[in-house]
Amino acid sequence: MSHPKTPHVVDARYMEPPEPFVKTMEMLDTLKAGEKMLLQLFREPHPLYKVLKQNGHAYEVELLADGTFEILIWP
Amino acid sequence: MEKASLSFDQAPPFSAPLRFFLTAPLFALLAGLLLLWEGPELLLSRWTPGALAATHLLTIGFMLQTMLGALIQIMPVVAGVNIENPIVFARWVHIGLTLGALTLVSGFYFSLPTALTIAAIVLGISVSGFLVGVLRPLSRTPSTSPTIRGIKLAMLGLAGVVGLGMLLAFSLAHGWALPLMALTDLHASWGLGAWGGILLAAMAYVVVPMFQLTPGYQARLSWWFPLLLMICVGVWSLGVLLDVSILGRLAQAVANLLGIGFCGFTLRLQLKRRRARADVTFRYWQLGLTSAIFALIMGLTATLWPDLATSNQWPIVVGLLLIVGGFLSFITGMLYKIIPFLGWIHLQSLGEYKVPAPPMKKILDEPAMNLQMLAHGVALLVLLVAVFVPELVRVGGLFFAIASGLLVWNVFGAARRYRQHSKLILEKLGKL
Repeated sequence: MSHPKTPHVVDARYMEPPEPFVKTMEMLDTLKAGEKMLLQLFREPHPLYKVLKQNGHAYEVELLADGTFEILIWP
Repeated sequence: MEKASLSFDQAPPFSAPLRFFLTAPLFALLAGLLLLWEGPELLLSRWTPGALAATHLLTIGFMLQTMLGALIQIMPVVAGVNIENPIVFARWVHIGLTLGALTLVSGFYFSLPTALTIAAIVLGISVSGFLVGVLRPLSRTPSTSPTIRGIKLAMLGLAGVVGLGMLLAFSLAHGWALPLMALTDLHASWGLGAWGGILLAAMAYVVVPMFQLTPGYQARLSWWFPLLLMICVGVWSLGVLLDVSILGRLAQAVANLLGIGFCGFTLRLQLKRRRARADVTFRYWQLGLTSAIFALIMGLTATLWPDLATSNQWPIVVGLLLIVGGFLSFITGMLYKIIPFLGWIHLQSLGEYKVPAPPMKKILDEPAMNLQMLAHGVALLVLLVAVFVPELVRVGGLFFAIASGLLVWNVFGAARRYRQHSKLILEKLGKL
């Protein structure tokens, strides 16, 4: 699935926990240098933020009008 | 999967929220037994000692217990807010709440001024302790989501409802000359609106899409709903303080409309869910939302024709719909998701991802939850009819006691099975 921000997207909006977390970690492992990934959710994943910080990843969050949080993550 | 485990390491131990979840249904059971014992007297008016006792068994004993317990558990997950020493913190808040609720209810039921005074002090200290423990980490957290802003506003609501409750308890105990009726309505609006309503919305933004696989709440709506509701309760308070009744009525009307809008919107989201099967949580939320809409329509009607609300039955019907039909349903529905889910997560982490955790239904199975919900629904219906047919109050009380007893059975059973599985997993782990 492609997206203007990046072609690497995990649309976890209709997934049950802990699937969004697992899918995100899996995709992060496949990213090449300089690539970014996008996670879409209807909530802010604070436990994931903590892991991202611990692993040295950077991220930025945008809340869209329909309630989707878009979390752009890069190594 | 090793990385995935990290996500749960920051969750407080299961015992921190579980102690609240185990005690709360016992208070609901007490309320049912009180109804059964007292019979028709209890529903004659909301001012009877029995009605005041039963109301606070449910609002403090059940609602406040589960809400604070769930917050200790869920704040790290939905807001990134971590409370220091969660086990010790939970233990003290829990003891204070439990003793305070029991003392308050005794004070109401047996008309004991000293008990009311002690209860107000104990509950005041316990909730202040909770607020102090939570506000420090919460104040360092920016409001990046409507949920975080909602939780912050709900804390203000909690301070308001408990502050007013203490004032009312002291007034009753010491005969202070205060407008008790207006202050009691205001106390209820802080409790069910500024605290309960706002916290419910803040949690719904996360749990409705997450557990029921619905679309999300629109961002603008979810940012503004808690703030507008808080403004309404603030204006209502100003109306009572300045003795300008039109301000209060206006605020009540808008607050009821906001509540109806929120419930209607949530029902609409549920219709768009992607989970094909309707589980017990979904049905409990539907019951809760429908009951709350009826209660809020009645509230709105009373702001237009205030004479209606002066009858003894009117406020009791609204209270039953909002507390038993609404909040108890939302909370029980969520407990049925939270308890097996937390149990499963903790078992998974206990097994270090080498010994698999049993499926969630092994911790709490669907038929037991459905049966409990059926009893709860019947209790609600009978109690609503019993407001007008006093002979049915004891029947309603019996069904409510059965529903609460089944909830006690389900929650204690889940805790027992959790402990059994913990033991099994540790044994298996030792053999690896």
